[in-house]
Amino acid sequence: MTRRFAIGDEVTVRDATSMFHTRTQAFTRGRTGTVVEFRPDWVIPEDEAWGRDTPERGGRTEPFYVVRFRQTDLWPRYTGFDIDTLETEVAERWLQPAEKKES
Amino acid sequence: MTIGSRLEVKVSVSGQFDGVATRVRDIAPVARDPLDSPYEISNQMFAALRHVLHDVGGQPDLPVPFLEKVEEDWEMNTYITCECLGWRGVWNSEERRRAENDLGATLYFGLPYYARWATVAAKTLINKGLITPDELSAKLDEVRARLEAQA
Repeated sequence: MTRRFAIGDEVTVRDATSMFHTRTQAFTRGRTGTVVEFRPDWVIPEDEAWGRDTPERGGRTEPFYVVRFRQTDLWPRYTGFDIDTLETEVAERWLQPAEKKES
Repeated sequence: MTIGSRLEVKVSVSGQFDGVATRVRDIAPVARDPLDSPYEISNQMFAALRHVLHDVGGQPDLPVPFLEKVEEDWEMNTYITCECLGWRGVWNSEERRRAENDLGATLYFGLPYYARWATVAAKTLINKGLITPDELSAKLDEVRARLEAQA
């Protein structure tokens, strides 16, 4: 499947509602990070969690990405170093291009 | 102080983590509405109640002591049984996690980790028509009788 994002892209995690199950952590919603790695296409957890775990069973496959966030962007009270980061895997549907910052 | 605030602190992680963390540090007895099938609840309360249980990162909590614990036979047996069910195509790990969320907060946080696995394995087997509830009860009674005879 064609990837929408490239390594180095700034992406924002969609602040969408999750019902019953999710692999997109609440603390990443609405946060902006950087794509640092590709992960293979895989059945999205929203399908897999209901037994639709293969394309034959109706599971939708999608590219996954490793997104790196600055800890200080995730936690307002973060007391570690400014350079500390957190990486997590996200399905493409949860990501949107980050809005360009005014410079 | 909002009534029911202990639950409402779970609502927003992205926007109000700061306030939420403050609220938890300031933990003290508060007046609460009992959660007893109320006639109506606020949207904020609904958001708190439907929070996906296993998504605990950033949720307000208090420190717990770290206790060393050896793995017990029943725990490894549960793990292996659940993995074999996956291998035989009954379910997958993601389905198990979702089923654990479906238990609701009281059972999810009340049961030991592998008891949660065993519980949702049983429910999934019934859901999928692979065993019946009466077969499960009969087996539980059989095992209980055996253990009581040994005791």
